[in-house]
Amino acid sequence: MEMGWSEADLAWRDEVREFLERELTPELRRAGRLMTSVYADHEASMEWQRILHNRGWAAPAWPVEYGGCGWSLTRHYIFSRESILAGAPSLSPMGIRMVAHAIVRFGTPEQKAFFLPRILTGEVFFCQGYSEPEAGSDLAALSMSAVRDGEGDDAVLVLNGSKIWTTHAGEANWMFALVRTTRSERRQSGITFLLLEMTSPGVTVRPLVMTSGEEIQNQVFFDQVRVPVSNVLGEIDDGWTVAKYLLEFERGGAAVAPGLQVKAATLAERAATQRGPGGRPLLDDPSFAARLADARVRADVLEVLEFRTLAVLEAGGNPGAAASMLKILGTELSQRISELALEAAGPHGRVYQPHAAAPGGPVTEYTAPPDGYLSGQEWQAVAPLFYLNNRAGSIYAGSNEIQRNILAKAVLGL
Amino acid sequence: MLRDGLTRFLDNRYDLDASRAAVKTGAGWQPEIWRALAQDLGVLGATLPEAAGGTGGGPAELMVIAEALGHALVVEPFVDTAVLGAGLLRRCGGSRADEVLAGIVNGSVVTAFAATETGPDLHDVSTTAVREGGGWRLDGAKYVVTSAPIATHLLVTARTGDGSTTGRDGISLFLVDPAASGISAHPMRTIDDRVASDLVFSGVAVPADALLGSEGEAWPIIERVVDEASAAVCAEAVGCLRKVLADTVEYTKQRKQFGQPLSRFQALQHRMVDMYMEVEQAAAAVYLAMFSLDAAGSGSATERARAVSAAKATVSRAVRFVGQNAVQLHGGMGMTEELAVGHYFKRLTAIEYEFGTASAHLARYAALTDPRAVAS
Repeated sequence: MEMGWSEADLAWRDEVREFLERELTPELRRAGRLMTSVYADHEASMEWQRILHNRGWAAPAWPVEYGGCGWSLTRHYIFSRESILAGAPSLSPMGIRMVAHAIVRFGTPEQKAFFLPRILTGEVFFCQGYSEPEAGSDLAALSMSAVRDGEGDDAVLVLNGSKIWTTHAGEANWMFALVRTTRSERRQSGITFLLLEMTSPGVTVRPLVMTSGEEIQNQVFFDQVRVPVSNVLGEIDDGWTVAKYLLEFERGGAAVAPGLQVKAATLAERAATQRGPGGRPLLDDPSFAARLADARVRADVLEVLEFRTLAVLEAGGNPGAAASMLKILGTELSQRISELALEAAGPHGRVYQPHAAAPGGPVTEYTAPPDGYLSGQEWQAVAPLFYLNNRAGSIYAGSNEIQRNILAKAVLGL
Repeated sequence: MLRDGLTRFLDNRYDLDASRAAVKTGAGWQPEIWRALAQDLGVLGATLPEAAGGTGGGPAELMVIAEALGHALVVEPFVDTAVLGAGLLRRCGGSRADEVLAGIVNGSVVTAFAATETGPDLHDVSTTAVREGGGWRLDGAKYVVTSAPIATHLLVTARTGDGSTTGRDGISLFLVDPAASGISAHPMRTIDDRVASDLVFSGVAVPADALLGSEGEAWPIIERVVDEASAAVCAEAVGCLRKVLADTVEYTKQRKQFGQPLSRFQALQHRMVDMYMEVEQAAAAVYLAMFSLDAAGSGSATERARAVSAAKATVSRAVRFVGQNAVQLHGGMGMTEELAVGHYFKRLTAIEYEFGTASAHLARYAALTDPRAVAS
């Protein structure tokens, strides 16, 4: 929907469209089109980042002095919407969209000079070390220990413990992590925000095989890992402040609805040609058609809610708990669409054939047919993987139960 | 007794990891398990008449077996062979059928039902069989035929009569050797760790006695046997559902966040109660279906179809709700292959769509109970 956009906004849309049309290669479009989760194929994602970086658009939300674009929020929204419409692969959020903002805000001049340009080029690729086996929704329960050894410039923090649900830990060469430097009554105190190299001796990555067979998430073990104190971001024991600041960049200004609109509209096109009950097109099945229409209505309404949040941000306000509502509605609608896609895929949707999709991580327990045979079409091969991975939407980044708690408290005052 | 013996066997002998490995990197199944089910436990002949070498059990025995197999997440092709294959063979009859039935009972035969084409209706058949020489020639394609890679016999639906491709008349059933010349098979595995193939039939010549039952009149038999298989899968689902509900309750008791077990949070307690009620409704729906299948009963085909559709619609709803929430309450761990719940979730997902979606069964139920149709 293009509500209330100015002539300048529409001209901007056309400029972005023209750029995407020109720069997105068939391979990149394939990677975007056949994504099985929110994570694109790593190589394709990094390639697209390089192309965007050449145009100066890899990190538009950064301050201009570090390589940002100084766009209005409406321009950002148009840019991400057009990218989705064109089928661009997504970029990893960990570096550009997350830790970079904390480095800008809390980093020393040396940290800024080292990390920011390298994040832009992809030379430094970050993963996030927050959750631990016993600290998930309850993040402040984290216990990975960091003990100081030495004094002055030579001092190091010695890490022991483990992190879990670390996305792309195998691909990353750096991690930003929350570690416990001091045990205190108030659990949010005594946590430190640390940047560490994944090649440090004592770091071990164990991939977790997801139900989709993809290895995207990992458990990372730390055994006497020594990290210079100069890699602390912000103050020692005050990492919670940095983490809270970062959280604001995870929320707000998101454009989830356009992607869901595209997915649902594409599904309608598939259903119009897919054979359904009585040998007629599936879209002629009143039950399926009504449920798909319901999902599309929800996507249209979600987009208006996103615009509303955008307007608050644009005016310099804080959308607050509205971000929790958008997270719940967006992830649950995505799940609903993934259910409809799996239903439309029919028997072919039951077949496991990741070779015909573009998974977000390696699939090791699988051998593709030697002749590359595909049962059904590409979209039918993607459907079950997308369905399985979509279940994570209501679990990650603060489970939807936690988000409902936030809304109950912050919006309804309960 | 059947339940206890089978449950004890599965507890002792059926290992989740070994069964997954067999599908992912091995033969696709564990033949020694199959032999034990046939010969040590008599499970494969439990619902076949004594004349066919079975022990004469009925729907009640079928329900008990399928639920136990579901609880242990058994991938071996019980429904495909002992329900679908055996059901089609015994109802079609004939000397070849008797011979294959004996093989099912002793565990030497695995059958695959090659029926699905490009649409969801099993009577939507474009594959043709025409008389040629002294026998038949088959041409067409069947998709995602479960158990085909390990099958010794295929049961193939084909159109022998004229008329529309979706008509219920003119469908025949053929017993076909998977190694017959002219069949190209594309083997695959499914998300729920079963094996399947896409099969293309190009001028496949089969002998005259490959035709099972009467020419062009297979549909009523197919519809009945598929209803039995649907009911069996519903019972299997109940076994899976009971397992994931128990696992979820246990996990939330163990997992502590915010200083207390997850099971202490009322929002999650209510969720698990809703899961429990879905499981109980699914179990009740299985009884509904099984009563309608009882061979001794006087029920009509319409009553049977109505009860089975009610059961499958209920079970499809239950497997989605319970499966999804079992994953949700396990958090990230539910998304992995590390715990049993991830594997059960995939089977429950497949069951949701197998033998017809909730939507398809609600449509059939609505048509069967339409007062205008009933009155006329």
